[in-house]
Amino acid sequence: MASDEFREGLIAELSNLRAFAVSLCGSVQQADDLVQETMLKAWGNSEKFQPGTSLRAWLFTILRNTYYSLYRKRGREVQDSDGTYAQRLTVSGEQESALDLADFRVALAKLSEEHREVLIMVGASGLSYEEAAEICGVAVGTIKSRVNRARAKLADLLGITSVDEIGPDRNTVAVTHQSPADMART
Amino acid sequence: MGEMPDHEDKSEDKDAADIVLDPRIQEAIGKSLKAHYDDLIQAPVPDRFLVLLAELEAKERRDGQ
Repeated sequence: MASDEFREGLIAELSNLRAFAVSLCGSVQQADDLVQETMLKAWGNSEKFQPGTSLRAWLFTILRNTYYSLYRKRGREVQDSDGTYAQRLTVSGEQESALDLADFRVALAKLSEEHREVLIMVGASGLSYEEAAEICGVAVGTIKSRVNRARAKLADLLGITSVDEIGPDRNTVAVTHQSPADMART
Repeated sequence: MGEMPDHEDKSEDKDAADIVLDPRIQEAIGKSLKAHYDDLIQAPVPDRFLVLLAELEAKERRDGQ
């Protein structure tokens, strides 16, 4: 039987679950179905949650597993079916160092799921590298390297592989193969 | 003929150590990630989820004691 504490915790985590789900799916509608499925599973398995551990990490694990087993779509096209997520791709000629949110989301949606999920978990949702590693079932070092790669790939997609390059120029080299020495030269 | 690239994306752990982004780029990406996520967090939670929880609780009470 789910305790009141579990119920309260679940309610408190709903906005985080949605944010993670939208980030994974790219579609708010699909994300809400995913959150609902996650809630049902979490409720039915509440006795398996260990009090004192991170409820967010536990719920993210369920959501992620559900996503990969039920909802995942093939292909890496930008999924924007209901249009509420990434608005449009506008590239301004004189972008400053602050990135446009709509541009950023388009780039984020182009990342592989593996890269996107670690960036969201570690870079936004407040989970630790250790928790992300447990959620993904991989070593902490693997999470760290995925985060590095994901950031590099994002920078590439955004055309900001060097600071001087901030802007819409797409003729950038694949940053994943740049050595520190290359970076120092630019 | 020419040399083949012998380690494309296979050993991600090893290769990733080579990737060093400019700290300003890292910071810009970090800020954008948070802006993206915080924007989603601030969206109101749809009623359907609270309704669902209430239903689950009601069912549990019926089935329980």
